[in-house]
Amino acid sequence: MSGLYDVDNVSLDLAAPSAGLQRLLPGSAPRMTILSSLSLSIGHGEMLGLVGESGSGKSTLARAMMGLVDITDGKLSFEGRPLKGRADFVKVRQGAALMFQDAVASLSPRRKVAAQLIEPFQINGVPLPDGDRAPAVMLERVGLSSSLGQRYPHELSGGQARRVSVARALALKPKLVIADEPTAGLDVSVQAEILNLMTGLRSDMGLSFLIITHNLAVVRHVTDRVAVLYLGRMAEWGPTREVFARPYHPYTRSLIAAEPQADPRKRRPDLALKGEIPSVLARPSGCEFHTRCPIARPRCAVEEPESNMITPDRMVRCHFAEETRIETQGGNHGT
Amino acid sequence: MSEALLKVDDLSISYASEEGPVQALRHATLEARAGEAIGIVGESGCGKSTLASALITLLAGNARVTSGSVQFGGRDILSVSEEEKRKLRGRHIAMIFQDPMTSFNPVLTIGEQLVDFQDQREGLSKPEKRQQAALMLKRVGISDPVRCLDRHVHELSGGMRQRAAIAAALLMAPQVLVADEPTTALDVTMEAQIIHLLRELRRDYNGAVVIVTHHLGVVGELCDRVYVMYAGEVVEEGSTDDVYHNPRHPYTQALIACDPANLHEQTPVLPTIPGRLPDLVNPPRGCSFAARCPRVHERCRSEGPDYVEVGPRHRARCHEARS
Repeated sequence: MSGLYDVDNVSLDLAAPSAGLQRLLPGSAPRMTILSSLSLSIGHGEMLGLVGESGSGKSTLARAMMGLVDITDGKLSFEGRPLKGRADFVKVRQGAALMFQDAVASLSPRRKVAAQLIEPFQINGVPLPDGDRAPAVMLERVGLSSSLGQRYPHELSGGQARRVSVARALALKPKLVIADEPTAGLDVSVQAEILNLMTGLRSDMGLSFLIITHNLAVVRHVTDRVAVLYLGRMAEWGPTREVFARPYHPYTRSLIAAEPQADPRKRRPDLALKGEIPSVLARPSGCEFHTRCPIARPRCAVEEPESNMITPDRMVRCHFAEETRIETQGGNHGT
Repeated sequence: MSEALLKVDDLSISYASEEGPVQALRHATLEARAGEAIGIVGESGCGKSTLASALITLLAGNARVTSGSVQFGGRDILSVSEEEKRKLRGRHIAMIFQDPMTSFNPVLTIGEQLVDFQDQREGLSKPEKRQQAALMLKRVGISDPVRCLDRHVHELSGGMRQRAAIAAALLMAPQVLVADEPTTALDVTMEAQIIHLLRELRRDYNGAVVIVTHHLGVVGELCDRVYVMYAGEVVEEGSTDDVYHNPRHPYTQALIACDPANLHEQTPVLPTIPGRLPDLVNPPRGCSFAARCPRVHERCRSEGPDYVEVGPRHRARCHEARS
């Protein structure tokens, strides 16, 4: 079954930033694997969360999906049509929109908000839907006053800039919005406003969202499904509610346990996850998580785990997922 | 209970602007005791950064103290000479900034800077100071401290940079350590590690720790007491446990409610705080939260509430707090 956007076994290699001469010799330049055999499907009207630490490849995947970086292997398809060349991606950019991580930096500092809102129409040669009123209509749709169109980006608050980037993403009435850290750097009350705006747009317009974030609390509340990425490979995915209630991959469990607790009675005495995500230049053998995994065994360092479909809608890539599964189901894991 | 090491008393600070003075901090009162970690929490524009910069006497050029004082070591450190302030900073009161990338000089090695920071330490040779620096790097969990000394800041990962910044702040064993959003630039696992490190360091550090953040989770994990700020005022203070489990100011209640981390059930619509911050050039005559408060009544708009005691070392600035 094909979804709205399908990522099928996608890999992405880049030339390693190696020293001078090596680069000039054909074929010998070392490559680094950024994404490795990733598969992901976003359904119509679905909100999918993509989580992982910095360096896990989340943003690279988003850029590859929009054709901003080329994949090395695998297949991307939008609405069932495979995307092969530049021309395909130009079309995709009308049906799917990317909201960049830094909302203020994604706007030009020298142009007024209104002028930037109508850019997607100009670039794609689409007539303005409401004529001169277009920017005002777009601003009102995201809950901003139309007078904001006359301001420059530096005159906006963080929350306002974020709403403007939502408005701009919605310009061409896309079916999918890829939001890269849509609430990073926002206060909690403003964060809640932006998330409510996104969930509202989804039910009003039937939009699909791919939300890329390292904020698990956000993912837990707004997404239907969640995919966990580690060092460019999928560790686990499944329905959000189930993954949070019973995470099977030790990495997912560590991420959930790492979230700071506002309630001082729930302070955690020990550290969930030690060390840092390894460099893509020194990708660990076997399971790439074994260097930090609390349950790693000798096998993990040698043998790559297979993608294991535990149920038709849950995948986990871990040699010992079955054991973890029995353990978590046996134990009492309340909220 | 030990005496307060650092005491902020009725402190008001305004910034010059074209529209008139912006009253960014109004009548703030706070104390930090030895061995205690306090949190200052609030959203953008609440005045927490102004308060933090006052604690380390690093106020912006257009800032003016209009009332009150910051008492440390028996004197008001905001009114001493620049020379004296410079001697306080780093030696007695140190700060960890949000972005560790910009708290180091990019063209000097970490080692050169950690040696320079010990400028006021007498009787130590340069190699000895370097030795001290390496020891401190080791203490903050940098596994190869000697190699780290020869690195530049851009060569370190985000987590390592923040560890190095913490080492720099603790180098002179200051009595007060102020950390401004120490984990905001980090992702969730690095954040957990830095929280863990700060908690460990606290065990053998007997100074006072002040954590400034917009993140309730960081306060919950690290602080004994918390001060909640809104629109330039401290609106509630108390033990972290009391404030979290029994918040008395409607703003504190709203802030806790709209943090998705505190919601156990998945909900399609997250709670928000409708309305916006008041204009701080002309702060409201009554309670500054009145325009957004769900429990507002007539009196709140005309009369500013007193800061009332609602429990042991628990106070709130609200007419309704006692009821």
